[in-house]
Amino acid sequence: MIITDEILMAYVDDELETEARAAVETAIAESPELARRVARQQELRRQLRGAFDSVLKEPVPDRLIDAARRAPAGRRDAAVTDLDRAREKKSERTPRPWSWPEWSAIAASVVLGAVLSQTMLRPFTAEPIVARDGRLLAQDVLARALSNQLSADQSADARVAMGLSFRSKDGGYCRTFVLRDGPGLAGIACREGESWPVEVVIPGAAGATQGSEYAMAGSELPVALLKEIEERIDGEPLDAAGEAAARLDHWR
Amino acid sequence: MDRTIDALREDIVQLVPRLRRFARTIARNPHDADDLAQITIERALARCEQLRPDSRLESWMFGIMRNAWIDEVRARVRRDRVFAPEEAAANVGGEHDAVNVLAIQSAMQRLPEEQRMAVSLVLVEGLSYKEAAEVMEVPIGTLTSRLARGREALAALLSEPA
Repeated sequence: MIITDEILMAYVDDELETEARAAVETAIAESPELARRVARQQELRRQLRGAFDSVLKEPVPDRLIDAARRAPAGRRDAAVTDLDRAREKKSERTPRPWSWPEWSAIAASVVLGAVLSQTMLRPFTAEPIVARDGRLLAQDVLARALSNQLSADQSADARVAMGLSFRSKDGGYCRTFVLRDGPGLAGIACREGESWPVEVVIPGAAGATQGSEYAMAGSELPVALLKEIEERIDGEPLDAAGEAAARLDHWR
Repeated sequence: MDRTIDALREDIVQLVPRLRRFARTIARNPHDADDLAQITIERALARCEQLRPDSRLESWMFGIMRNAWIDEVRARVRRDRVFAPEEAAANVGGEHDAVNVLAIQSAMQRLPEEQRMAVSLVLVEGLSYKEAAEVMEVPIGTLTSRLARGREALAALLSEPA
């Protein structure tokens, strides 16, 4: 039996079936040269493990444990036995309205993106805000409103009411919004490329807006949201002309 | 049977040290590696419905980590490098072995990424060829050839006079 490098490697990595294994061992016993090659490979394996094993003994950063214990999880209630079924389920899932029980638990407190995403966001489809890769993103009706709807020119019954628009200290545009559906979330989204990551969400701002002719001015925003704006804003909010110009520029 | 989400979270907690170790072989500096591990954990939980009952949690998460690195983190790390110079591998425990450990870590970092991942999955993490090939989404033949080339390159780098 000719022992190629490939076979030798598979032997060292314990990938050979019993018979092939025995054949290699016989060959090794007869050839000091082969035995040396195997020993070198085993030594490399040992060295590599040794070089990275120290990581296992390091204290684990809290943020990783927190992520494991608290990062938002997708649905796992239905036992999914294979990926095809998972895909099927996904396409069957229909958009559902925001339901109050999901939000009510946190309605009393100010909830920032991170906390919110840890608490209850599931992989929604066609919802105005989705969690993606650990962040919140505006989509669907909210993304359209953020991109197109001007605060100075919006209908009172639009599903999203746009508030202030401003330049952030990072240089990009941010806009505040209130979702009139469901519990009425208010928040801040800041443009990033073609998308609108939602940086702040505050529940329970709806009452004032539902059905009323609510043109959201700064003074009517929830206080908590104002604080978030103050932290981000560079200069003054955009006026109507500034907003129109920003929209023309696709908020870039 | 299906794991509950809480059980899954605890399994992930147990796996964190290994996630960090694999991340450390992918990203060059420890901080980037931990960022990568965190993103991996978050993505895994968000998509936990895709974890098949018959697949090993670590293989599944290593795959997520590989994709996260390729899609997202790698580019960010390169961009940030302008500001944060690459750190030499740090926190090496041993005394007489320390030099050796550094040499191996830096030799690993000089391998092409695909070879480095193959070496890491099989030689460091102890995955089977089949599992490693699945993590890397390549046929087994591709995996073994990367592994063989990676080994050769490592052996050559390590035998260079210091």
